[in-house]
Amino acid sequence: MSLSIRAWARGLCLLALAPTLAFAQAAPQAPPSEPAGGPSRMWFAVGGALATMRGDCQTCEEDFPYRHSGALLVNAGYRANHRMDVGAEVFWMPVETAEGTIRATHFDAVAQFRPWASQGFFLKGGAGMAFVRNWVDVLGSDSFNEKALSVVIGAGWVFRPTARLGLQLFAAQHALALGDLQTSQGQIPDVVGNRWSIGAAVVIR
Amino acid sequence: MHSIEFDPPKMRRVAVVMLGSMFWGVSLCAAQGIQDAASPDTNRPSTVLTDQLASLAAASLAGTAGQPSWIEERRACEGCPPRSVGRALFQTTVVNVFYGLANLARGQVTARVTPTTWWRNMEQGWVWDLDDFTVNQIGHPYQGNNYFNTGRANGLSFYESAAVTAFGSATWEYFGETNHASLNDFINTTLGGIALGEMFHRTAWLVRDTRATGRGRMWSEIGALALDPITGVNRFMRGDASRVTDKPADLVPSHLAASASAGVLWRGTEDNAFSADGQPFVEVEAIYGDPDKERSRTPYDAFGMRLRFGGGSGLSEARVRGRLLGQPLKDGALQFSVLQSYDFQKNDAYATGSQSFEATFGFSSTNRFRLLGWAGLTVLGAIDSLPLGLSEPPVEGEGEGGDAGQGVSEGPRYYDYGPGSNFGVTATFSRSNRPLVVLFYEGRHLYSLDGVRANHFLQRTRVDLLLPLRGAFGVGVTGEYFDRRTFYQDAAATRAGHHYPQVLAYLTWRVS
Repeated sequence: MSLSIRAWARGLCLLALAPTLAFAQAAPQAPPSEPAGGPSRMWFAVGGALATMRGDCQTCEEDFPYRHSGALLVNAGYRANHRMDVGAEVFWMPVETAEGTIRATHFDAVAQFRPWASQGFFLKGGAGMAFVRNWVDVLGSDSFNEKALSVVIGAGWVFRPTARLGLQLFAAQHALALGDLQTSQGQIPDVVGNRWSIGAAVVIR
Repeated sequence: MHSIEFDPPKMRRVAVVMLGSMFWGVSLCAAQGIQDAASPDTNRPSTVLTDQLASLAAASLAGTAGQPSWIEERRACEGCPPRSVGRALFQTTVVNVFYGLANLARGQVTARVTPTTWWRNMEQGWVWDLDDFTVNQIGHPYQGNNYFNTGRANGLSFYESAAVTAFGSATWEYFGETNHASLNDFINTTLGGIALGEMFHRTAWLVRDTRATGRGRMWSEIGALALDPITGVNRFMRGDASRVTDKPADLVPSHLAASASAGVLWRGTEDNAFSADGQPFVEVEAIYGDPDKERSRTPYDAFGMRLRFGGGSGLSEARVRGRLLGQPLKDGALQFSVLQSYDFQKNDAYATGSQSFEATFGFSSTNRFRLLGWAGLTVLGAIDSLPLGLSEPPVEGEGEGGDAGQGVSEGPRYYDYGPGSNFGVTATFSRSNRPLVVLFYEGRHLYSLDGVRANHFLQRTRVDLLLPLRGAFGVGVTGEYFDRRTFYQDAAATRAGHHYPQVLAYLTWRVS
């Protein structure tokens, strides 16, 4: 995937304008309508994101680089009520670097909450596990595989929040607490990775 | 897949736009929040009793003249607070500013926040922090309880207030201190804040006498304010503290039992069975609602809590177990529940703490025997720990507090953090609804992610023998055994074990 700064800027302008667009749509939206054909309690979202990752260790002097890539997001769950969706999230982010590939997959239990039922603004939080396959600084051709505690927070805007088909724009931060990171030189202790992402997802209910 | 390279200034602009759009979204919604609140929320989880009746009443009366003023004020019931999401989020920010100013007044350099420190924290992301055990395991959950109650004080439900807690916690971590945002603080503040927050909120509503007037009423409101300051301040500001109404029905427990104990505790180690000097303690226990019966109506409509003061430290134990879901099975012979747990123990022998969720199965027969078993996941647990080769932690302050300034923790930190699992069983034998014998066992596993690399296995066994004397008074003896085993992940796979027996003798006063 190759993206220019201009494409990024366009995407960000859209994100920045999102509240205004939704604000403009808010008035006719006021009484939340159920999807045609009856309410569905399913919540499914799939989308992509532009993400930045950085791993860091508490006791290291080294300044670790930020690495940028695309990411895939999938949510599946059910609507607890018309303000809250709960379910599972998979966030997959592969990064190609000059030294090798790093693939991280987060599996989180998440809750997505819209404080105002007639508005699209939402907050998201959750926790779970992350799995990292790391080909950077390894011995031989096999990856070092790690498990980690995963935590996610995020916010965004969902358009048509009660319709069967909607769209959401989101900004999220995923953290993965690895403990020790295995490298060819040994283990690096107390490593925490952070992933910042902005993206869009199609929402199906 | 190719990576994309960015210049730092461009990244900064990206982040500023992201952040700006988020705050913009919040502010636009807050400005409009008043519009959606009036419509009854028919999809809301069942809260029964007056909340449901109020919603139905609101729906049927909406738009008609002469409707009760409390509906116009967006209250779910006459005694409920008016609903306002915007005010809850605003007050959460006020709480953050209050804590920031308090830290500034105490001379803490970590309180000197600027947009530069905000940006630095956003650039860094989450880290583990090196703060004191009590600050992280009690201080942060208490702060989170304030965020939670900005939601409850403004008419939000339990789960809505939980989201407000996460919002308050995340904004504090990024913008409230110069320290990098701490992952362990975020988890402890959010989950601990929810558990303590709902416990304090419901306890304060027990103290409040909303049918009373005059001085008695004022003191009941002040007593409740001490337990739940955020709700208390809101009630005084709105004038609710003097309005005569019924209490919200879902904040009136179906059953209530509490006991207070005062006595002496003797603790030993593997080398020295018991020290001659006992430590005085006061313990308060309460069971709110009936956790063994009925389908749950709202989260925390049944919870248990235990606080122990003294016995090795100022606050040596705090434990809250709140029911999120409850469902009777087999015509009520069995009870299945999902609980949220908050645990804190700190004394001169050991320190542990955790945030966890558990599934429980309970069995009770003729009010005389109750058996409860549980198993669950620990989202984040903490256990005091020493690196291999160190038998005693250095004296407090030694090797710490370099030149980084007041409030900056530079470590080393002598406890570990990590997720894990827990399980346990408790059996209670009672007569006339008064427990006579209580047997308790709990096991907990923690996989250390930060600190000494090890697996910790903790076990705690407790036996209470209680003898009623006269009226509500009685005497009791408790034997407790705490065992910890540490499996270091070093080349030699070193193992270490410690155990601490303790005995408590006390007088009890019980009400139910």
